[in-house]
Amino acid sequence: MAKTAMAKTAMAKTAAEPLVKLRGIIKKFGPFVALNGVDMDIYPGEVHALLGDNGAGKSTLIKILSGVHQPSAGEIMVDGNPIVFRSPRDASAAGIGTVYQDLALNQLMSVSRNFFMGREIFKGPAPFGMMKLKEMDIITHDEMIKIGIDISDPHQAVGTMSGGQRQTLAIARAIYFGAKILILDEPTSALGQKQQMEVLKTIKRVRALGNIAIIFITHNEIHSKLIADRYTFLSLGEVIGSGTRESLDGDDIRRLMAGGAEMADLEMELGKI
Amino acid sequence: MQAERKESDRQVSQGSFRRFIRRPEIGAFSGMVVILLLLAIVAGDVVFNPLGIKNNLSIISQLGIIAIGACLLMIAGEFDLSIGSMIGFAGMSMAMMLKWGLPFGLGEASPFMAFTLTLCMTLFIGWLIGNIVVRSGLSSFIVTLAFLFILRGLTEVSFREFNDGSTQISGLPDFKETDFFAYLFGGETFKWVFTLLYEMGFNLNRLGNQWVIGLDAKVAWWICIAIITYVVLSRTQLGNWIYATGDNKESARANGVPVNQVKIGLFMFTAFCATIFAACQVFDTNTADAAKGNLKELEAIAAAVVGGTVMTGGFGSIVGVIFGAVIFGLVQNSVFYISWIDGSYYRVFLGTVLLIAAFANENIRKRITGGI
Repeated sequence: MAKTAMAKTAMAKTAAEPLVKLRGIIKKFGPFVALNGVDMDIYPGEVHALLGDNGAGKSTLIKILSGVHQPSAGEIMVDGNPIVFRSPRDASAAGIGTVYQDLALNQLMSVSRNFFMGREIFKGPAPFGMMKLKEMDIITHDEMIKIGIDISDPHQAVGTMSGGQRQTLAIARAIYFGAKILILDEPTSALGQKQQMEVLKTIKRVRALGNIAIIFITHNEIHSKLIADRYTFLSLGEVIGSGTRESLDGDDIRRLMAGGAEMADLEMELGKI
Repeated sequence: MQAERKESDRQVSQGSFRRFIRRPEIGAFSGMVVILLLLAIVAGDVVFNPLGIKNNLSIISQLGIIAIGACLLMIAGEFDLSIGSMIGFAGMSMAMMLKWGLPFGLGEASPFMAFTLTLCMTLFIGWLIGNIVVRSGLSSFIVTLAFLFILRGLTEVSFREFNDGSTQISGLPDFKETDFFAYLFGGETFKWVFTLLYEMGFNLNRLGNQWVIGLDAKVAWWICIAIITYVVLSRTQLGNWIYATGDNKESARANGVPVNQVKIGLFMFTAFCATIFAACQVFDTNTADAAKGNLKELEAIAAAVVGGTVMTGGFGSIVGVIFGAVIFGLVQNSVFYISWIDGSYYRVFLGTVLLIAAFANENIRKRITGGI
């Protein structure tokens, strides 16, 4: 019963239109081909794991999606409409929110000042308008609770928060300011085990909101298996495999993560030394 | 069953006293209280009589005005070493216009015109410094050090050129007696306090008449600038931008804070503070000297650091800088009342306090960023 229900929801999801479609994305840096015709479909309410080794082109792809780089060829479609991002501002206006590894947080500033950094709620003429600090505190607190962290004091400095809490703050901020496509660049790296689980829980809660598409970039096979609905594997600038959680099994995932090499081959190579 | 321990439980909520002693201003505040007590014991009669208060506040407010400018800029992560030279430059510019009229033979200069034209020039120089710093990416230390020399040199050259080789102008008409605008800078304020003191019998000279009329106008300027900058820094959008710029420029920029404009604006604000300083001096004493403001930039930075401003930016408060200015001003002025102390001990004191404050600030910064 449960299985058929799950299959049905999976069907319903595939039937839905992708929020973002990438078609034939090519990016060259001089003679170097960073991406060689990448296709990708990103659906709302799903976690899309983007996997690949170092130098596979994950970062370049993300930078194209978030408007930092412009593709040499290929098309980005948001809600079915072709779109060109000239700057990160364009991407963010189209609803793409990128949470980079450094999170763009200021350690010495309070949680709510960080939450509203650059987008303060104020009354009066900018930039001398008086901030509505109470309102900002309340919104920050509520938005963080929505994805699972209850900060006891919105005035505490971000520097005193744990890595997982900071990650949640950055994600909550991106969502509150209108991100429909949330790009998480290795959110679990540089965190302890417990903190990693907190971040995965946060991602699950964002997924449960239903309308947000999450692109989850990771090195970690276990983490991707725990939360991803769909996978894209990159190697040397090309897609070497993609599919839903149901269509790929564990061995496929492991093989594709290693850039297409069989685990047995690797073991043999290691054995020779 | 016990509720599961959550991450947020580790942030122990602290009582109001603990919060109070973790404020950035607390070090400067206790320093100020200690010095006030010491002075009251050692030289209470000369420091806290009406004339002593007037003189002390004059020095304190003068330093306080430029220290606020230096503090805001430091919170945004930059230095301005040109403040002192800017004071000399602005004073020279105003005095020369008042003495020889407006440039290009445009006729007599009223105090208002002299001040306004000078302010336009200094704001432009501040804008220029800011642009050089943000566009070149050079350290503001070097860029403003260059302007320290350039402005001081220009001031001396202009003086000698127009003033028969002398670098001083004295004997300007006493504008504050005739011109309201000049009175705003050179006149007196808080007269009612001293009138009240006189009526209560505390403010009498040897003949039994009123002794001190009022405080220097710069005290009022200091208070106004302090209140406005306090509100701007702690309550407005711009204040959030200033903190964000100094804390981590790149993350501020990624969130849409106009980092460069904030910095340029603050370089202009320090130029504004230096101009107010100069105007108070020129209209009070009716003199100008090319050496005015020498080393003031360093005193301003020192007062900001003692007031809890972190050298690397992102942390500091106006209230702290007020205490910092009080500490330095008081000691600088009061050692001269105490005959058995060599006045130069003031510098020894300044250096020592600065070092202690810098250590304390670094400690606070590490505490917040998780270093301790």
